[in-house]
Amino acid sequence: MKMKPAAKVYTALIFLFLFAPIAILLVFSFNGAKSLSVFSTVSLKWYRELFRDAETLNALKNTLILAVCASVLSTGMGTAAAVGINKLRKRYLRAALDTVTNIPMMNPDIITGISLMLMFVFVGQLFGMATSLSFWTMLIAHITFCLPYVILQVLPKLKQMDPSLPEAAMDLGCTPLRAFFRVEVPEILPGVITGLLMAFTLSLDDFVISYFTQGNGFQTLPIRIYNMTKKTVTPKMYALATLIFFAILALLLLTNLVDEDDSRRIRAARDARRGRRSHAHRPGSRRPLRIAVSLLVVAALAIGAIGFYGQRAQPLVLNVYNWGEYVSDGSDDSLDTIQAFEAWYKETYGVPVKVNYDTYASNEDMYAKLKSGAVSYDVVVPSDYMIARMASEDMLLPLNFDNIPNYRYIADSFKGLYYDAENRYTVPYTYGIVGVIYDANQVDEADADGWELLWNEAYAGRILQFNNSRDAMGTALYRARLDVNSTDRAVWDEALAALVAQHGLVKSYVMDEIFNMMESGEAAVAAYYAGDYFTMLDAEADSVDLRFYYPEPTNYFVDAMCIPAGCQNQELAEIFINYMLSEEPAIANAEYVYYASPNRLVYENEDYVNDMGEEAMKILYPNIEQFAELYNQYAYRNLDQETLDYVNSLWETLKIN
Amino acid sequence: MSRAPRERRNARVARLSLAPYSVWAVLFIVVPLVFVAYYAFTDNSMRFTTENITKFFTATSTVLGEDGSQQVVRTYMVIFWRSLKLAVISTVICLLLGYPTAYIIARAAPRTQKTAITFIMIPMWMNFLIRTYAWMTILQDTGLLNHLLAALHLGQAHIIGTEAAVVIGMVYDYFPYMILPIYSVLAKMDTRLIEAAHDLGCNNVGVLRRVIFPLSLPGVVSGVTMVLIPSISTFYISQKLGNGKFFLIGDAIEGQYVANNLHFAAAIAFILMVILLIAMALMKRFTDSCVRGGV
Repeated sequence: MKMKPAAKVYTALIFLFLFAPIAILLVFSFNGAKSLSVFSTVSLKWYRELFRDAETLNALKNTLILAVCASVLSTGMGTAAAVGINKLRKRYLRAALDTVTNIPMMNPDIITGISLMLMFVFVGQLFGMATSLSFWTMLIAHITFCLPYVILQVLPKLKQMDPSLPEAAMDLGCTPLRAFFRVEVPEILPGVITGLLMAFTLSLDDFVISYFTQGNGFQTLPIRIYNMTKKTVTPKMYALATLIFFAILALLLLTNLVDEDDSRRIRAARDARRGRRSHAHRPGSRRPLRIAVSLLVVAALAIGAIGFYGQRAQPLVLNVYNWGEYVSDGSDDSLDTIQAFEAWYKETYGVPVKVNYDTYASNEDMYAKLKSGAVSYDVVVPSDYMIARMASEDMLLPLNFDNIPNYRYIADSFKGLYYDAENRYTVPYTYGIVGVIYDANQVDEADADGWELLWNEAYAGRILQFNNSRDAMGTALYRARLDVNSTDRAVWDEALAALVAQHGLVKSYVMDEIFNMMESGEAAVAAYYAGDYFTMLDAEADSVDLRFYYPEPTNYFVDAMCIPAGCQNQELAEIFINYMLSEEPAIANAEYVYYASPNRLVYENEDYVNDMGEEAMKILYPNIEQFAELYNQYAYRNLDQETLDYVNSLWETLKIN
Repeated sequence: MSRAPRERRNARVARLSLAPYSVWAVLFIVVPLVFVAYYAFTDNSMRFTTENITKFFTATSTVLGEDGSQQVVRTYMVIFWRSLKLAVISTVICLLLGYPTAYIIARAAPRTQKTAITFIMIPMWMNFLIRTYAWMTILQDTGLLNHLLAALHLGQAHIIGTEAAVVIGMVYDYFPYMILPIYSVLAKMDTRLIEAAHDLGCNNVGVLRRVIFPLSLPGVVSGVTMVLIPSISTFYISQKLGNGKFFLIGDAIEGQYVANNLHFAAAIAFILMVILLIAMALMKRFTDSCVRGGV
């Protein structure tokens, strides 16, 4: 049937809508700068970086392994279930099964995810397991939400099939099993394949359920992307999306060719039936294809399993849990510090070690996962107030500093800070100060002073505020010179009132989104961490002129490496921490993250100082000698649960205004 | 072979092939839901409490009204109704855009059908977080859309950070889930019925209203379900495209989970689940009677 012109235009518009964002990804994957809003130069940089980035490739591998395993297993089990359901004669049983099958489809992802997580954690605690979540729990979760889709694809095909066909086959002497494979399977095969494809697609694209059920050392791409909150989502991901897009296109072309082959075969068969001879006629030409496809699937599974076990079989495994985008990943010819550690360890100790490097999006996220016993790690990098909380709840192990000789390079200002007064649990990783970033092309220099700029009505609709309660409330409290660690509800109420008053002026509550918004001139004013200002400078648009200053008073923070209770190999963890303090990796990390380093090997290194430039050094390291004093006065402390709950409820109030 | 043993064997085959799935369904579908209920009705020391449930219905906040006056509202009711509103709007738009698309595809040549359906599914292979991120680039005030509008001298559109942006994100992300089920029903539809209706004097609109649409209702119902459910509970789209300016119910659940209030998170999830299951049961009853009445 021919399409009418109106229908053609309509479908074209629909496809334009569906593919517009994909076109954006495609274009920006060739961007020379690290921005999704400002295009600078055409470059293949991110493709090169992608193939060098072991962690991203590993996440891709994980995603594929999970999708292949989940789709194959759920298709097998789902097809068997559909056959069974179709044969069921008892109505109530059928109705019950129908209802249960529908539950994962009727339930929002977030509920499926939370429900499975609660059960796994409960069972894990029951059996006293160190970690209740793993690859297997994630696989179970994925199979569970794929199953109904498979069943719903296969069941209709079974219903359409004439039930007398297998009967006839058996009457003609087939065994039931043979009848099933010879008669029923070919009939339902299209449904099975569609089910398999749907399961694969759903598993590939799932984020929410994976987020709640992920375990140690097995993070998929969606989780990694979600956790890239410290810096903007890296354009490597766009490069990856583009490659996937073209891979699918190629696959489609290929299957189309196969189709053509099929139709030629059918035509040939028809010709043959009419008594004509045809050279294209190859008897059974479909069989090799099927064998090829099944071989491919089996191979993929095997490779997946081998890769997975190969990785597991390593004698030494170190599980590191860090913020997303918070370690040098080897881009721009820098040092990939995780890989470098593995290489260094093997060279020094003669045994291989495998680092499972997982990421989280916030302190609270990390705490929730560790606290529930869902996961356990050997090294984590929380911020100060979270360290205080974890230490008070016995979630951290005291360090053996004999294994961390490089600790001597940490400046004295960073020792004995409130969260670890006796220097028992922590080795500082980075530190920083919250400042105000503004676009001088939009903001009058005269206004650029203190916290007031964030409440200045002249810039209504162009102001950004933190999208986490502690930092956002913090800006209001520092502005009013109130205690950011108060337990007095009236103080928090006052902070909320200021934020509510600001709500109409705020363009957006941001974390990683700040990068794109400031770089493109979309917003004019934001408070953020000093180091991130320089990341933005690298990618700012020509029409944007970003400047920076510190308001008084402001927030000082330290992120430090710690070893959580439940660590499997403390000595190895300490060797890792020590390695991260040594000169080359410490500088690579500091240059990548752009945050100030408390490590003398970094900030006294001439190359580093030159790379950073005079202005950056002045802003990042303004008063390293007085740091301890200012820090102890203004840093966030751990709040008691009651105050936290109260602040959280105020935050919800702000978000319904 | 006589009939009776074969019947028995059929039953045995049915039991055997159903066994793994039945065990799986009980262990990983039913039992986890019991855990949601269990956590919803307990406190941190696992003692029974209804506090979490009542908190959902009674917690209040003072907000600034549009006229600047202070108003006391029920926090989670506001969040819930806003989520419902946006989800329903997204679902309706998906249906209005998706039904014609599915119809056009189902009436195209078989080869075109296959290609079109594959192209509808392709975006799902590219991670949905990344796709949502790309929408930020299109919709922001200095973004692609506004550059386009400016070039055409059509003024500016402020979309990012509004409810409209969140709706666009939801429609985009869940659009394939609307098209696929409707398409599969329409493609299988017996064209003789349509011809018969024409022969009996029905015009095009009449055929669509009286024959095609009622017959495609099962597809519409699954489409509506598959769009409504994820859009009511999303938390990423509202964070990114809503500029973090408002909470949806998914944000509330995730927020409570991250704030270490697992029991309250479970309570919100439990209430949402109950409401949705009741709504779906009602919808199923309604459409069942419609389908029966329509044919």
